[in-house]
Amino acid sequence: MLNISDLLEQIKQTPYREIVVSTPHTGVVNFASIKSGDAVHGPEGQWKERPGTKLATLTRERNPKPIFAPEKGVIDTVHMEYENTFVECGCPLVTIKHHLTREEVESIILKQALYLFRAPERAKYYFTPEIAAKLRASDPGSVVIHDGQELFIMSRMKRELPLYYSGPEGVIYATYFKTNENVDTDAPLIGVCPQEELPNIKEVIMRVQTEWQENA
Amino acid sequence: METPSETSLHDHRVLVGNRGEIAIRIMQACCKLGIPFTAIYTPEDRESAHVRFALDHGKEHALYRVSSYHDANELMAVADISGCTSVHPGYGFFAEDFRFARRVTKRDRKMIFLGPSWKIIRELGDKINTKRLARSLGVPTVPGSDRPIYDEMEAENIAEDVFDFQLQQGIEHPLVLIKASAGGGGMGIEEVDDIDQFRSVYRRIRNYAARQFKDEGVLIEQRVTDFNHLEVQIIGDRSGKNPVHFGTRNCSIQSTGRQKRLEVAPGFDPTVNEYSFDSDKVLESIVQYSLTMAREVGYDSVGTWEWIVTRKGDPFLMEVNTRIQVENGVSARIARIKGRDDVDLIAEQIRTGLGEPLGYTQEDITFDGVALEYRLIAEAPDNNFTPWVGTIDRLRWKEHPWLSVYTQVPKAAYSIPTEFDPNLALAIVWAPNLNELKERGLTFLNELVLQGHNAAGEPMENNIAYLKEKTGQILKF
Repeated sequence: MLNISDLLEQIKQTPYREIVVSTPHTGVVNFASIKSGDAVHGPEGQWKERPGTKLATLTRERNPKPIFAPEKGVIDTVHMEYENTFVECGCPLVTIKHHLTREEVESIILKQALYLFRAPERAKYYFTPEIAAKLRASDPGSVVIHDGQELFIMSRMKRELPLYYSGPEGVIYATYFKTNENVDTDAPLIGVCPQEELPNIKEVIMRVQTEWQENA
Repeated sequence: METPSETSLHDHRVLVGNRGEIAIRIMQACCKLGIPFTAIYTPEDRESAHVRFALDHGKEHALYRVSSYHDANELMAVADISGCTSVHPGYGFFAEDFRFARRVTKRDRKMIFLGPSWKIIRELGDKINTKRLARSLGVPTVPGSDRPIYDEMEAENIAEDVFDFQLQQGIEHPLVLIKASAGGGGMGIEEVDDIDQFRSVYRRIRNYAARQFKDEGVLIEQRVTDFNHLEVQIIGDRSGKNPVHFGTRNCSIQSTGRQKRLEVAPGFDPTVNEYSFDSDKVLESIVQYSLTMAREVGYDSVGTWEWIVTRKGDPFLMEVNTRIQVENGVSARIARIKGRDDVDLIAEQIRTGLGEPLGYTQEDITFDGVALEYRLIAEAPDNNFTPWVGTIDRLRWKEHPWLSVYTQVPKAAYSIPTEFDPNLALAIVWAPNLNELKERGLTFLNELVLQGHNAAGEPMENNIAYLKEKTGQILKF
């Protein structure tokens, strides 16, 4: 049985995550007026429609691309040496110290509570059209899957192969991959919860909701 | 071969818009011509030998890390910052994208696209247009649709017609091919032998095409079985007036997914093998048909005309590849220009692409001997050629004067990136005759050391045994 109190205590020891904001592509960098110690916020709104604090602008082929803080936190480092220079893809611009949110703590604990079906190989994964349609049409956490069911399309090196689920029967509680993005070997694809365990999972969520204090 | 005008070529810088083995060969060609280059790489390719080559042989602005080889803005931004005057797309990625070629040549800071002009790519890069053009010039093509089909009922009607046509021709087991219209390189192609199967296969290909190519269009055509896959190598300069050919290739040895594995030049060899048709006549006819089309469109770069030749010796044009191909080296290896044997079609493509005239005519091109190309690939031929993923620990071969090997695998351990095909190396073998070619090919494969392991510690899978087995069958129908 999962000891939620212990897990929460462990997370409270280091409740931060360091986020390195890097350039998504090449271009000329111009930083916004930011400095170490500044508080920044991530995207907000019901659909995250309001972007986070603007950190920099990356201009390529005359197209300025604003780079926003992906999460709330405090700026640790700003690489001002790149100001007004052409940089390569993946160049680190800003480091943010981010205090974990309830959702993130929930996700950390759920990854220990749920049955994780993992990627057998580094590849891109898609749900089969049938499962994707069910997930779109159903409430979250209500699509039931069973051992041996064809669940994914694994796509790599111009090949698409069916991938069959192996594990306990249950509902798809969490999805950890994004369409068109590569998933590393052994990274979790989905978290599955046997239906009889759903009350325990709800308890995990309740505990985190009540016991985790978020930074204002 | 004319010596390039040094001043004009030296004014240029080439952006190498590709990766791996072809990027190395483009850089080598630039070095040979004395033209500076700029290479690119993505984070997944940081271990590739093309990165090392660029650092070792390039000077200032030799290498940039980009987010993707398939992001035109990345290529343009790097080209501008490094002062490139031209872009070589290699094969794949932007090589046959007329919109990219047009953008390169029409933007404010204009550059040269080292491939055919964008109008030619648009005309010949589209299988449908090619088929229409070929038919208008009396060039034989495979029966089937001459435009992409988006409607399921229409697709089914065409398939029924193609089945009926084959039955009328006396073909006992008619087959219909369903191809993603926007596909290429053997991707998104399946065959059906029964109209009842058609609908489900059609839907699968349509969905695959939508996912991979963002275009649901499919082509329906007769599946010609029992054929050889031949190619004609063409090159023309920017005048578009005097295209010449560099002979034929036979690319019939392919994986189950119709990916080429072993290519031979020339396309047939009647001195050793028996054919049920006049092979020299067939080769001459496909060369002449290809040149007719090249002249008609004013072809102004390297390109390949791909042909099906049936057991009866009937040729059908499949498509035109408006780019340099993987197997270009096998044609170059047997070719001589004004007696010189150091033919490099990539260097020729760059030189003529930058405006130099071809400098020779068909009469100046001769051929000597036979050559083959092995594609060394991490895959399991016994398991439907499934790609193998893992780390290459060792790739070594013995040097011979008749052997050239091109690879992006470095001397150190190399993790194969899953984002791309698991092609490891190309080996080109030359010999004065076919029997000696087979012997030399097997000598190379027997001496080759290719070792690796996957995440589970299991030894690597590769296609060496498959290539050995197929070596005995080259150029046999």
